[in-house]
Amino acid sequence: MMPLPEIILVEDSDEDADTVQQAVQRCSTPARLCRVQSGDACLVLLQQAQRELPALVLMDLNTHGMDGRETLRLIKSDPRLATVPVVVISTSANPRDLEHCYRAGANAYHLKPVRYTEHLEAMVAVLGYWLDRVVAHPGRGVQS
Amino acid sequence: MNTSSTSVASDASSVAPQPAWHGQAYSTKRFGISITDCDSEPVQTPGCVQAHGALLVLRAADLTIAQVSENSAAVLGTAPAALLGRPLQELVGPGNAARLQAMLQQSVQQAVQQGVKQGAQAPDIERNPSYVFTHTALHTGLALDASVHTVEGVVVLEFEATGRGDSEQRDFYALIRRSVAQLQRATTLSALGDIACAEVRALTGLDRVMVYRFHDDGHGEVFCESRRDDLPSWLGLHYPAQDIPEPAREVFRQTWIRPLRDVDGGLAELLPLTHPDSGRPLRMTHCALRAPSVMYTEYLRNMRVTASLTLSIRRDDKLWGLIAGHHYSGPFDMPYDLRAACELLAQIVSLQHAAAEEREHAAYRQRIDSVQQQLVTQAAHEGGLAALLDGPPTLLDGLDTGGTALYHRDRWWCAGSTPSEKELDALGDWLTARPEMQLRDRPLFATDQLSVHYPPGQAFASVASGLLAIALSRSAKNLVLWFRPETTQTVRWGGNPHDKPTVVGPHGARLTPRASFELFIESVRGRSKPWLAVELEAAMRFRMLMMELIVARADQLAGLNADLARSNDELDAFAYVASHDLKEPLRGIHKYAHQLAENAGQLGEADLQRLAGLTRLTLRMDTLLDSLLHFSRVGRAELLLEDCDVGEVVEEALDMVAARRGDKPTHIEVPRPLPHVRADRVRLREIYTNLLSNALKYNQQASTNIEIGWLAPHEVAARHAYTANTAQAKTRGWPSAANAQTVLYVRDNGIGIEPRHIDQVFKMFRRLHGRDDYGGGTGAGLTIVRKLVERGGGEVWIESAPGQGSCFYFFLPAEDKPLSPPQAENTP
Repeated sequence: MMPLPEIILVEDSDEDADTVQQAVQRCSTPARLCRVQSGDACLVLLQQAQRELPALVLMDLNTHGMDGRETLRLIKSDPRLATVPVVVISTSANPRDLEHCYRAGANAYHLKPVRYTEHLEAMVAVLGYWLDRVVAHPGRGVQS
Repeated sequence: MNTSSTSVASDASSVAPQPAWHGQAYSTKRFGISITDCDSEPVQTPGCVQAHGALLVLRAADLTIAQVSENSAAVLGTAPAALLGRPLQELVGPGNAARLQAMLQQSVQQAVQQGVKQGAQAPDIERNPSYVFTHTALHTGLALDASVHTVEGVVVLEFEATGRGDSEQRDFYALIRRSVAQLQRATTLSALGDIACAEVRALTGLDRVMVYRFHDDGHGEVFCESRRDDLPSWLGLHYPAQDIPEPAREVFRQTWIRPLRDVDGGLAELLPLTHPDSGRPLRMTHCALRAPSVMYTEYLRNMRVTASLTLSIRRDDKLWGLIAGHHYSGPFDMPYDLRAACELLAQIVSLQHAAAEEREHAAYRQRIDSVQQQLVTQAAHEGGLAALLDGPPTLLDGLDTGGTALYHRDRWWCAGSTPSEKELDALGDWLTARPEMQLRDRPLFATDQLSVHYPPGQAFASVASGLLAIALSRSAKNLVLWFRPETTQTVRWGGNPHDKPTVVGPHGARLTPRASFELFIESVRGRSKPWLAVELEAAMRFRMLMMELIVARADQLAGLNADLARSNDELDAFAYVASHDLKEPLRGIHKYAHQLAENAGQLGEADLQRLAGLTRLTLRMDTLLDSLLHFSRVGRAELLLEDCDVGEVVEEALDMVAARRGDKPTHIEVPRPLPHVRADRVRLREIYTNLLSNALKYNQQASTNIEIGWLAPHEVAARHAYTANTAQAKTRGWPSAANAQTVLYVRDNGIGIEPRHIDQVFKMFRRLHGRDDYGGGTGAGLTIVRKLVERGGGEVWIESAPGQGSCFYFFLPAEDKPLSPPQAENTP
């Protein structure tokens, strides 16, 4: 049996992580959510050689430790990891942040609304898109 | 020689009189009373001597006698006829003649060697009478001092009674040694004068000795005085310039001393009156025996003076004043050695004059400096020129003045007695245009008669007849003025200076010296005490201190501005980070409230409402944070200036606020096509969206009317000119910077703003109404408008009244220059 596609969530807010967890549950495609609290932890996870690459990285920009911007830059500059889709989820609508993330190779950038229902809907839509609609890079799982 | 007295009279009465002695040699004895004008009297060649002594004119080559005073028989015991043409040694003996010969030779050698040989022993006798020998008159046995000097190639020998015993020799230096020491210690001019008077009087025994000081206009004042106790004081009395005519002053520029032994002593004419070889009259400027002018003796007689001694006080080759000695009790003998002592004293007074004045001024300067230093420290400490008048001390305390005014930051700051502000304005404008005030190194103007230079000054002559002004900078009108009051104070004249000299005297139709010496008190109008050089210098030093202070403050301000810009940056960065970080917990709170409400089956109605409130508040806080974020970004983004069609920008803004218009009838009016301006298009649109949504929101009328218009620069200027003349000018905040700019406006018929709240509306999150009134809102819109406008170097302001709607005006500078520097972007 094919393992469930894995989503790595980089998020230090438990509430926001919970919202993403709920979004995963509402998704039509089943997936495993693996949450880490910082960019450093995310990189450690990704760099475990025997581990399969995730289907998606959901990255909050403002985490403690190494923040999302730096983590994004390191992932996208690593030849092995560069193909993993990274979707930024942030409170910041600052054009500078947008500029930075897209330049660094972010695959998408989404805002986190304060209103819970909107937030949840946004997350469901993002996950649905990346899990159901996107044709993934063929290299996934080949390297193990 | 024998001119009839009738011809004198007819000459004197003619319209353009020739001198009575026209064509012949002058003799005071013969023609003195024919003088019609003091300034034409040949006082240096009077042709006569005072009759108590005798004078011989010798030929330098062989010491034969060329001229002799007609009284030689009485004084010397030999009649003129027996002397003329004879060698001197026949009269005084070979010893004395040889002594004279030796002196003459030394003097000539000295003149030749001058500049090579220093410290010569023998006196230079050219124009400088010096003692040569004592001669005993054979017929009386009286000892006579002979003094000699040379002038214009002849040798002049004067004989006078020694006034002492045979072998007694007074050492005039010993006489005045004490005086010299005292004079050297004088610390003020008046102290110097007092010492001079006292010492001359002690030395001579004259009844009254005065220091008479000349003022700039030539009139004189009794500056110091030492007198016999029973005499009235003349101290502080002023005398008109004519009392000492120009020829007399000229004599005192050449000689130190002028003795007159006896006003009624009679005159002895020279025989012959002119030199037999050259035909020239004898120049008697330096003769101790020189005959006084008739005018002078008459003047003295009018004052009941019987004998006089006059010494000159010179300063820098100018005649500063006189030491005048008067005697009232008959003839007064002033033998050679006494005169020499007095002369030396006069020279020392002249030498010490500069030192005493310097000491006096140094003390004054020190006082001024100390005050000015305190002032500058004060101004530096309190950070403003206005501190100069807060005191103590103030600008008033340094210089000796009655009032002071400082023009700084577009207004006058005054202390003491000054003209009114309106008068100061006009005076300031006049001063600024004066060429003196344009000088780079010395922008200074000083006068003790302001109304002569500046006729409107008559209106405030009482407080400001004297003006000393300096400019602190040439570009801006920055003035410091010191005023001196009119010296209406009284000048006490010795006699009425105006009642002379048209009086016909006892000698017919000619001028006579003043006869009245009654105290005459006169008010001097439009004049102040003159400014001293030391005061002008102090003003310039003050200016320099102030300039240094201003430069230092400019540096300080530049530093403060940099600090301010930095802290603004940091504030923006802080606002940005803070609002981000605040959003995360806010999202959590909202979520829990939401989830609680969803599972609230068992909760009561009240708790459900509370949960709804919690949710609503989190959302409201979210909008506030968004505004704060936005506001902080306004200050940080670069402006992209381009030519903007305001009409298009307004169209876009109206589209963006369309949702706000709702169902209510709304009329947007654009009275005339909007102009093009240079601005950042996105920011300009944001200004309009904020102003328009504000206008739409705060309106209770049945129909919302909004006018979007503009004023061209010339219309703004016209409006400025109008408001400047109305009482509204100050309450209506049209900024002066708006002049000559294109001003844009948005006018509504909304609720309006109370005048006292006008300043509030631009404050962050400052709402004038209830949170949910007028459709809610964060209260950041107008704050953002102001920041956007000011970021572009412009200004925004309001005209409004409650119930009458509001009009928001703003301008963005036509030129790019006043932009505030873009602030560094700190990404959170």
